[in-house]
Amino acid sequence: MVSAPLVADKAKGSAPVEIAVRDVAVNFGPRLRALSGVNLTIRACEFVALIGASGCGKTTLLNVMAGLVPIAAGSVNVCKTPPRAGRRDICYILARDALLPWRSVLGNVEYGLEVSGLAREERRQRALAYLDRVGLQDYRDFYPSRLSQGMRQRTSLARAFAVARSVYLMDEPFSALDSQTKLILHNQLLDLWESSGATVVFVTHDIGEAITLADRVVVLSRLGTGITDEIEIDLARPRSAEALQADPRYHDLYRRTWTSLRESMK
Amino acid sequence: MSDAITSETGLDAASRTASGHSLAILLARALFLVAFLALWQLAVAFGYADPAFVSSPEGVARALLALAGTGDLYANLITTLIEIVLSFLLSVTLGIASALILDRSDWLNRILSPFLTAFNSMPRIALGPLFILWFGIGIASKVVLATSIGYFIMLLSTLGGLKNVDRDLLLMSRLFGASELRLFRDIRLPWALPGIFAGLRLTLIYCSAGAVIGEMIAAQSGLGVLVEAFSGRFDVASVMALMLVIAFVVMTLTALMDLAERHLLRWSKGSTNVPG
Ligand SMILES: Nc1ncnc2c1ncn2[C@@H]1O[C@H](COP(=O)(O)OP(=O)(O)O)[C@@H](O)[C@H]1O
Ligand SMILES: [Mg+2]
Repeated sequence: MVSAPLVADKAKGSAPVEIAVRDVAVNFGPRLRALSGVNLTIRACEFVALIGASGCGKTTLLNVMAGLVPIAAGSVNVCKTPPRAGRRDICYILARDALLPWRSVLGNVEYGLEVSGLAREERRQRALAYLDRVGLQDYRDFYPSRLSQGMRQRTSLARAFAVARSVYLMDEPFSALDSQTKLILHNQLLDLWESSGATVVFVTHDIGEAITLADRVVVLSRLGTGITDEIEIDLARPRSAEALQADPRYHDLYRRTWTSLRESMK
Repeated sequence: MSDAITSETGLDAASRTASGHSLAILLARALFLVAFLALWQLAVAFGYADPAFVSSPEGVARALLALAGTGDLYANLITTLIEIVLSFLLSVTLGIASALILDRSDWLNRILSPFLTAFNSMPRIALGPLFILWFGIGIASKVVLATSIGYFIMLLSTLGGLKNVDRDLLLMSRLFGASELRLFRDIRLPWALPGIFAGLRLTLIYCSAGAVIGEMIAAQSGLGVLVEAFSGRFDVASVMALMLVIAFVVMTLTALMDLAERHLLRWSKGSTNVPG
């Protein structure tokens, strides 16, 4: 059931455009211009990380792609149509895990499938398979209040990838985790994504995280005026978050991204 | 929980004993009761307290037996029970339904809230005689009196429960594509459940008080009628015996609710924050 082909890196350059952001502007009230003139093209099956200064509009841009925030100018297309909240081909993973406290781990993983209208038996099987993949099979009957933060995010990941949507938007999902737990979550996210064939836009302020996960790191300007730099992350896949720590090319990319991020804050 | 992993069963056991009663607590309770009754009985026996005013444990026990023996108690108890159950059900259904409407409709809430506050500020017990004038001396007037109190408790506690629904949960559900109905059923209602249960418990207590006080004002049957009659004769022991009966009834009904609550809110019990 959980078997999509591992997407070949080389094919991505010619893959169809999945998300197209054109000259987008977003205003909050008459005075606050959160975004203006933002352009971004993301191809199918690409994993793109967005980094930038705090308050530069990363979340706002993600919300635009999810159809949660109206745009004042420009156009946004996700899979060739303007986004709308609740679309059945987009999945948004919030910064907080947003697990339902009154549902068990299994019940939470089933929730997305339930809303999507899957029959009881099928969604149970599917949820169990995804719980297995994030290593929480033994915790299926636990309530979220009894889980560690890392386990909660794993549950959230399983819930998201169980619905197998084509676009995943993630807003700093691992920012509350310690660095060891993060590495585990990175590996699990990579595993889930590589077999899903989905397109991912991943907001983070952690440069290492961006490089570990993404095909391309996009640096946004401090003023919300769009992209100041893009860094291709040509590290081979499948990647291992731990192994990368010892890879000199990872550290080169880190330095390069760090310089670029510092430039963007000027 | 049967197939939960063993490494965390320690937590499981810890949360269970915390919610259950340990033997020590039960013993301490029994001790407290015995001490209280002994003090009362001794105070009367040694002349520190006048049994004409405060009766005595023995006197109350005798009065209770006498009441139970005559069969008078049962017919009156049934009347009061019917009033309590009816007013409770009315308060709960109307209260929850109104709360749902007010929660979803901001303008209606803004229009009605001063009126609701005003009516809720009135001491409804003082309206008892009017209710009897309007609805007769049968059970209807008591049900109305009790409901006029219970309804607001239910309304306000449900409204409070629905208020601060976690926006992330609503957003998550909406982003997965949930309908308004689903948002209500999957998020808002479970979120409000602790508030609703707190309201249920209070509503039951106030409906019971409303029913009995209504009967004391004017009625043909009911525990309140007995209370009124015994008070008139300064039969302190019988009044206290009746209070015990009422307390027993309310506690039994509350225990049934606790059972339902324990089942429906088991997710909120024994929460631990495991770090990492
Ligand atoms: N709902 C909102 N109302 C008003 N201002 C907002 C709102 N959301 C974000 N902003 C403002 O827009 C800017 C970008 O915010 P955000 O996208 O959250 O930044 P980031 O996620 O990069 O930290 C900030 O100045 C923030 O204060
Ligand atoms: Mg943000």
